Amino acid sequence: MEEKTKSLPTDLRMEANPPPRLLRVLTVVTILGFAGTLALGLKVAGTDIQQGEIQRIFYIHMPSFFGAFTAFGLTVVGGVIYLARKSERWDRIALAGVEVGLAFSLINLLTGSIWARPIWNTWWTWDPRLTSAAIMCLTYAAYLMLRAGIDDPGKRRAFMSVYGILAFVTVLITLFIIRIVPETIHPVIVGASPQNAQGGFEATSGVVIALVPSLLLWLTLMPITIIWHRVRLEARIEKLHQLKLQALSE
Amino acid sequence: MKTPFINSVAAIIGKDLRAEMRARELVSVMALFALLSILVFSFALELDREAREEAVSGVLWVTLIFASLLGFNRSMAQERDQGNLDALLLAPISRAAIFVGKLLGNFIFTLIVALAILPLMTALYGLALLDGWIIVTTTLGIFGFATIGTLLATMTVQTQAREALLPIAMLPIALPFLLTAVRATKGVLSGAPAAEWQGPLGMLAAITVIYLVLCLLLYEYVLEE
Amino acid sequence: MMMKPAITTVALLCALWTICIVSAEDGEENMTPYFQSRAFNVPILAGWGDQSGEDFAQFQLAEAEATIRAAIVPTDDIIAAVGAELSDAFEIEVGQPSFQGKVNLADGTWSVLIYDYGDATTASVMARLAAAGTVVISFVEQDPAARTALLIMAQTDDALDDPTPEIAIAVESIAGVSLSELNRAESIRLPSGEWTVYTGASMSAMGMVFGNDSYVALREGAPGDLAALADAYNRTLLGFFITPDNSHYLALGLAVVFVVFGALVGSLFWRERSLRKELALLAQLAGEDG
Repeated sequence: MEEKTKSLPTDLRMEANPPPRLLRVLTVVTILGFAGTLALGLKVAGTDIQQGEIQRIFYIHMPSFFGAFTAFGLTVVGGVIYLARKSERWDRIALAGVEVGLAFSLINLLTGSIWARPIWNTWWTWDPRLTSAAIMCLTYAAYLMLRAGIDDPGKRRAFMSVYGILAFVTVLITLFIIRIVPETIHPVIVGASPQNAQGGFEATSGVVIALVPSLLLWLTLMPITIIWHRVRLEARIEKLHQLKLQALSE
Repeated sequence: MKTPFINSVAAIIGKDLRAEMRARELVSVMALFALLSILVFSFALELDREAREEAVSGVLWVTLIFASLLGFNRSMAQERDQGNLDALLLAPISRAAIFVGKLLGNFIFTLIVALAILPLMTALYGLALLDGWIIVTTTLGIFGFATIGTLLATMTVQTQAREALLPIAMLPIALPFLLTAVRATKGVLSGAPAAEWQGPLGMLAAITVIYLVLCLLLYEYVLEE
Repeated sequence: MMMKPAITTVALLCALWTICIVSAEDGEENMTPYFQSRAFNVPILAGWGDQSGEDFAQFQLAEAEATIRAAIVPTDDIIAAVGAELSDAFEIEVGQPSFQGKVNLADGTWSVLIYDYGDATTASVMARLAAAGTVVISFVEQDPAARTALLIMAQTDDALDDPTPEIAIAVESIAGVSLSELNRAESIRLPSGEWTVYTGASMSAMGMVFGNDSYVALREGAPGDLAALADAYNRTLLGFFITPDNSHYLALGLAVVFVVFGALVGSLFWRERSLRKELALLAQLAGEDG
């Protein structure tokens, strides 16, 4: 028994269990990709005639929402598989999805607000889409609070899987709110803008060159890489927790 | 051998109704809260005739959702404190039956409160809230609240912070109900053509069905042990 | 193996969105190339020599000895700004304008000034106040054999879809010629729109209604280049945007992105560190026990 407690902690160090090669490759590609899409958005794409330089923030603003979409989507996938198989690994993916998605949607919200200042002449307006995006953030903040409030690990995992699935509705609402409440001033870049949208611009070829790579990066590599790192860390944190309990009970 | 679904649902509703008839602590607390909320709103917003027409559907729904939060919390806490939940889990009935039973109980109590404040608001604000379509919207919206409220209250009541967590967990998730119900109520109230408010009302019904199915599927996972 | 469903889902989502984005783009966009300075944007005139500098746009049509120039002069006095602009860029010392008017456009009230019509060098200027000073768009024609004036006037009758009344006023007040001396010719189609044309023995005039205003162009001498000049000047005016410099908001936005990322990645490192600390503590405790 003593032998076990002594040897286990060393197993938990990252050096003892280095990231798999695929993850290391993904990390490098993600960092390079992020630098590349930033360069595309800041240097290659032309300056918008009417909005000026600030329009470039759009190459992060919109992709970050879809990054959050992927991350929160993984939370749903993780929740469903956890409930079906009771595999803790998928619960960790769900948790990592919430943390990463929350950071991404925060980026989405803040960049939108900074864009709105010069274009709409206000930092914030109670527009349906802005409101629903803010509520989406709060929902996932509630996820983390709720998670912290449940002590029993089994209950925590099951409850949070359920909540993660329900919470995804707010993501869908943010995505489709323009169809539900048409009085938004938020522009739609893909497809037809609502009549009273303010601050739209056309998706010309220059815009697409900068937008598509950024969108693909945020949609796939960015959330997946960070979530993977987070999942690995969470696995070790959980093991440490077990060890602590074990040490206390001895 | 399991008790048939309908019988167990009826038994749970019957139990809740009898308990409420004796103690009268659920409906009376919710109704008193709703009344206070309406009065506070009318002072806080200084509602004049014109502002009332704009704001009254918002006031109605905010009042209803907070009143139902109060009710759901109370109803689940009673189950837990008196050890009913454990007893129900041991009983040979399906989880879905427990969910439907609690859901219908919550729905009935909240609906009673809602149907009581509609004529009250009609009298206080001088607006025709006792319209058939508003009652339909209210019933649907309350059913929606009860669906997710029952599920989430079952969860939060088992946590450390208990009552404090239900509003945080439920308000964002209840948003689709709130959004569509407020729009439908507003449309009916302003006498707009049916085409304008049938959309939100249909959407409210659709969302209610989606959530009901989701909650039925997920309920067994929040009632374990 | 466990990641498979997730990766498939994400790959499908990607494909879906790429299709959405690509289908939203209607083929090749024919965007006019723009001259961009810190403060304003002007379409680059095809076929004209581009002499633009850091903070001004300037295009020259050599065969007509004509130049179009846009710049912002840092003064609030319109007359002084126009005088400074013409003397600095073209070495023209202007006296009294031979025509002066005002016109309200979507982006503000513009002053319209024609200088030295009748001399070898004619300057047609539009100017308006902006945050950074006075915007001056000038057209200077230096052909000794011709005189050209380009201007925009408010319509005398909004309901009319014909620039004839404005052409009459311009011809009369600038060249001192009555419109009755000119004959109406067939109208011509240019990239900027449909222009009404009047021609006479030594003079020609063109006009086009745009909103509640009329663009007017008149020329004495060889009429050859009038259409090209009128069209180019007109397009400059239509494509002129003043965009306030908002690059500091872009910088702020990027800073926020990096801060949030930093917080996310930093929290991973921070948790890694506290994990190590607790491990060390546990190992120490285990060592003490043993």
